[in-house]
Order: sequence, then C-alpha cells, then structure tokens
Amino acid sequence: MTVAIARTKAEQAFTQNFEAAAAKLPGGPAVAAARRAAIGAFAALGLPHRRLEAWKYTDLRSALKDAPPAAVGALAWPLPTPAQLEAALEDLAALDAHRLVFVDGVYAPALSAPATLAGLRFVPLAERLAKAEGAFGAGLAPAAEEDAVVALNTAFMSDGAVIEIARGAELAKPVLLLFIRTAGEARLITTRNLLSVGANARLSLIEAHLGLPGAAAGQSNALSELAIAEAAQVTHVKVTLAGEAESHLATSRLRLAAGARYRAFQFTASTGLVRNGVALTFAGEGAKADVSGCFLGRGSEHIDTTLVIDHALAGCESRELFKGVLADRARGVFQGKVIVRPDAQKTDGKQMAQVLMLSEDAEFDSKPELEINADDVVCGHGSTSAEIDEDLLFYFRARGIAAEDARALLIESFIGEAIDKVDEALRPALMAVARRRLAQLSS
Amino acid sequence: MLKIENLRVKLADEDKLILDGVSLEVPKGQVHAIMGPNGSGKSTLAYVLSGRDGYQVTDGHILWNGEDLLALEPDERAAKGVFLAFQYPMEIPGVATMTFLRTAVNSVRKQRGAKEFTTPEFLKRARAEAARLNMADDMLKRPLNVGFSGGEKKRMEILQMAMLEPSLCVMDETDSGLDIDAVRVVSEGVNRLRSKDRAMLIITHYQRLLNYIVPDRVHVMAAGKIQKSGGKELALELEKSGYAEFQSRAA
Repeated sequence: MTVAIARTKAEQAFTQNFEAAAAKLPGGPAVAAARRAAIGAFAALGLPHRRLEAWKYTDLRSALKDAPPAAVGALAWPLPTPAQLEAALEDLAALDAHRLVFVDGVYAPALSAPATLAGLRFVPLAERLAKAEGAFGAGLAPAAEEDAVVALNTAFMSDGAVIEIARGAELAKPVLLLFIRTAGEARLITTRNLLSVGANARLSLIEAHLGLPGAAAGQSNALSELAIAEAAQVTHVKVTLAGEAESHLATSRLRLAAGARYRAFQFTASTGLVRNGVALTFAGEGAKADVSGCFLGRGSEHIDTTLVIDHALAGCESRELFKGVLADRARGVFQGKVIVRPDAQKTDGKQMAQVLMLSEDAEFDSKPELEINADDVVCGHGSTSAEIDEDLLFYFRARGIAAEDARALLIESFIGEAIDKVDEALRPALMAVARRRLAQLSS
Repeated sequence: MLKIENLRVKLADEDKLILDGVSLEVPKGQVHAIMGPNGSGKSTLAYVLSGRDGYQVTDGHILWNGEDLLALEPDERAAKGVFLAFQYPMEIPGVATMTFLRTAVNSVRKQRGAKEFTTPEFLKRARAEAARLNMADDMLKRPLNVGFSGGEKKRMEILQMAMLEPSLCVMDETDSGLDIDAVRVVSEGVNRLRSKDRAMLIITHYQRLLNYIVPDRVHVMAAGKIQKSGGKELALELEKSGYAEFQSRAA
C-alpha cells in the first residue's frame, strides 16, 4: 500500500525548482545522477519537523513557507565592488587573510586572492564536480536519504571551496571564505566546502556568510566537511550576519584523527532563521575539540545550534561554550549531544550554554544530552538563562556609569567570555561586530 | 557636608523599618565611623546613600552639600562625588579591570565637566595608584575582581575610590575578611585620601580598623537608629562592653 504524504508548498517548490535548475547545475553525468537521487530522497523525507528529535525546536516544515528559485551557473548580476565587500565585512575587512569570495553561491576569481599560498591547494567545487566521477567529498556527510537538509545541499550545490592543506604546512595567513548574497531577488544559495588538512598542518579558517544591503532575503544551505589528519591544528570561525538570508541552514561535519586539535567558533547575529548543525567525530585517540559560539537575536529571529560530539575513541577532550543574547521575541535553541562510545575511556567532555534574556517574550530552549557508554569518563553539561544581574548593574552605576552604558558593558562582558575563545588576532574585530549588533538589541 | 535628617527606610516589599529615624551630620574634612551589631541597619544606610534599588524611604532627607541626594540616580550621585566601597565587591567576568575603571572615571569626569583622560594618561595614573596599594599591574588586565582574594578586592575598591576622586566616601565593612597586613595597606590608602574637601563615613563592626583610620566622631547604630555619638574613644569603650547595652535599649 502506498501512503500519500501531503507535501507543503515549500517542499513542492524545492522539487519543482530542482527540475528548473538541474540542467544548469555543475557536474558531469555521475554528479547529475547523485543530485537526482538526492532530490528523490528529499521528496521522500520532506522538510525536517518537530517530531524529529534533532529538529524538535526548529520545525522547518512550518517555518519555511516557500522555496525561492536556485541560484545557478554564471553570475547574472554585477559583481559587488571591493568597497561593497569591505562594508559588508565590517571590522573583519581589515583582517589580513587569503580571501576566496563566492557571490550568490558562485566563485568570483576577480574578487579573490590568487590561489598561490604555500601549502594550500584550492579548487572551486564547481570545477571539481565537472571532473568528478561520482564521489565528492570525504563522505563525512550523512547520505542524502538520512538527512533532508544534506539531501537539498547535494541536489542544489552550486559551488564552494575544495581545499587541501599539505602535510606539515603552516599557512602564512588565515583563509577567509566569504559567501556574499547580492541578488535583488530571493534565491536559494547552496554551497559546499570540502577541506582536508594534512598531518601536522595548521590552518586558520574563517567562513563569513553576509549580505549586501539591498540583497533580497532568500534561503541558504551551506555544508562544510573537514577531515583533519593526525596532529593537525585547525581553527574555524563561522560568522553569519544580518541580511544573509531569511533562512540559513548550515551543516558542519568533522572528523579528527589522533592528536588533532580543532577549535570552532560560531558567531551568529541578526539574521532570520539560522540552524548551525555541527557533527564532530573523534576518529583517533588524544584529539581535542572546542566548539563554541555566540548568538545575538532580536525581532522574531530564530537561532538554532545543534551539536553532536561523538567520542568514538579513547582519551579525547571536547569543550563547548555557547552564549546568547535574546531580545524582543527572538528564540534561541541549543541542543548539545555528547556520545561516549564503549571504547572512549578517559573521555573529557564539558558543555555549557548560557543565555541572557533582554525581554520577557524571548525564548530559549536548551537540550543537553549525554549518552555515555564507557565508565572512566569525565563529562558535564549545564545551561542557564538569566536576565541582567541587577546587583552588577548597581555596582557599575555606583561607579558613575549610566544605566544604559552599564547594561551594554554587562552584555559585552557576558558574551566576551565566549569571544575570548577566538584567536587574539580576530577577537577585537569580532567584538566590534558584536558591539554594533548589541547596540541594535538595546535600542 | 553630609546631612541626614530623620531618615526612615524599609525594604520596598516589607513593612518593617530598617532605618527608624537616623539623623547624622558629617562635615567636609572629617571622618566619621558608624559602628553597630549585625542587622542594625548600617549597610542599609550605605546602600540608601548610594541609591540602590529595593529600598523605600518613607521619611526624612539626605542632603549632600545642600542637594537632595535621594532625587538622584546612583550614577548621578557618583558624579556628585558619592562613592560606596562595597562590603562584597562584585566579580565581573569578561570586563577587564582597566576597561571598567576607565569607563567609570571618564564617565564621572565628563559629568563633572572635567576633560576625559586619554588612554596613556589614564594608564599612568592607574598604574601609579595600583603601585601605592601594592597591586600588581597584571591585576588591572584581569577581569574585574574575578579570582581576586578578599584583600585584593578591597584594595581594588580603594583603587577605584582614589581614581574617581569622590568628595563623600562611604566604606561598608572595608576591613571584613582582611588579615592585618591587608588592613594596614587599605587603611593607608584611605588615609592618603583624607582631605579638607572630603567627608568620609566608615561603617564597621569592629574597632580594629579605627586603630588605622582614626575617626573624628564615632556613632553607635542599633535597631535602625543612632544610639550614641562620641569621640574616637567611644570605639574603644565599645570594644570592651560590646553592643549588648544598645541592643537591649533598642528592644
């Protein structure tokens, strides 16, 4: 017996938009077949909804009312000027980084640094797909049949960065992947980054998802896969800012080999609906990961951080610290799952999510989960949501600081604890970006 | 001059009066001590002077140089020269001590119509003051009071007091939790600030601090009232006889 499932308008639109875009999406026949299989899988799965545990607080089936046409192929609109890029990057513009720019989901060599940084090999994903015999990526992402958001990414991916860092390489500069939305009409922008970092190499990666003023709100689906080899060290900062999209669905998949170090920081502010999903697997012993972040929400923004940290092997350490500030009717979601498998003795895992509520109408849903199957482990988690501490506020005021300034400093100090996790070189820029958003929150 | 007249105060959400008719005058250039048992209302007086929320003044006035303090916000009072050294200074993770100090000092200077300090000017003054209080430069870089010992926190209060150049200093149990060396350092810091333009009100449970900061007048507070006032020798009497007499008198 076949059960007919009623599909929402958005679900139907994704399928129809795929048919319209399929011929223009990059890749040979093998890729085209994989895309078609993925959209088929999506049609069967539908959008994730609240009855799925991982999407309990972010029901895409009800949140996404429609799906805009996919941004495909060559750029149909003028490239942004360098000045526009600098303005969109705000304080991050001053950062001396090796820039790779993607405009509406398509690599823009004219705005990017030449691909000559010792130790780094870069190919745009579209180019890789054109040559691919079928396999793309290290296979870290779950199969399309299991995850509707990944299925949509496979079906629609237009471009992205394929980066290999050579064994032992230490890059002279951070790599900045800048994804900028410019289209005046709503578009679905789908990108995928595939990174492999060789043994003992060091990489500082910044991924920025921004919008130009005047760009139409659309949707984005961004997937990054990082395979980090033995004893390599990677920092990965993802900045997602206003104007980027009405919905931004991001998936990060990571695999750490023995002794690898990974430090991630996610800064998300003033955008529509955001889902930052991170799945990290310790695939070697003695590796360490820190996945932290800061989110600032106002209006009816919705910011979801969902982590799955999988301690598959012994002696690994994981740390997560997320700090959020929520104003108006904004909603924050934090789901942190730590899995400790039977072989993962001597695991050390700690997780904390803290939110400052600036409004009674704001909402924070937190769901930490520990799944421990080994006996010699140290794991902890916690979650708090609080208003501004009146005693602290009084202390500031008693020192002559006006209430408004005191409040701003207190909020800054609250998120500062998380931002302190970022490399010193990037910290002031990120704090400045945050400060600008905080001023909007309290006004 | 600080003039408190018949001050009656209760907690905003309770009926019982904590201060039940306090009258007190502290002229400029003088140091007065308020001593009293726990629960006598000493700390409440300090908080009401500095403008903390949660208290309701049902009667009386507080005048500072003829101006009605109760009509002002806490930050406005600070600008007028009121400084409260807290019994329990707050820990503020994420705010570097230097940032906090500079924000406070420049905010107060601006309100007083003085020129704001540039960063180098400010650093120089803060470092010099910290050195006088035997505080390491490093403490100024750390988040305010986070991980500081009791003595370090109290020294930080005195450092703030010196930097903010108040004209009315209220010190709430500044000696509590301090060992004898710390009491000496803190007291020296306070004594350096004694001047003919400054009034000081020192709230303490024990006489010990007054060996180092010798007051012009001592007031005994119990049950929300000033029960007795006298010279510095009153503190020594209290050390011998305790507060029992005043508590029973109040009851």
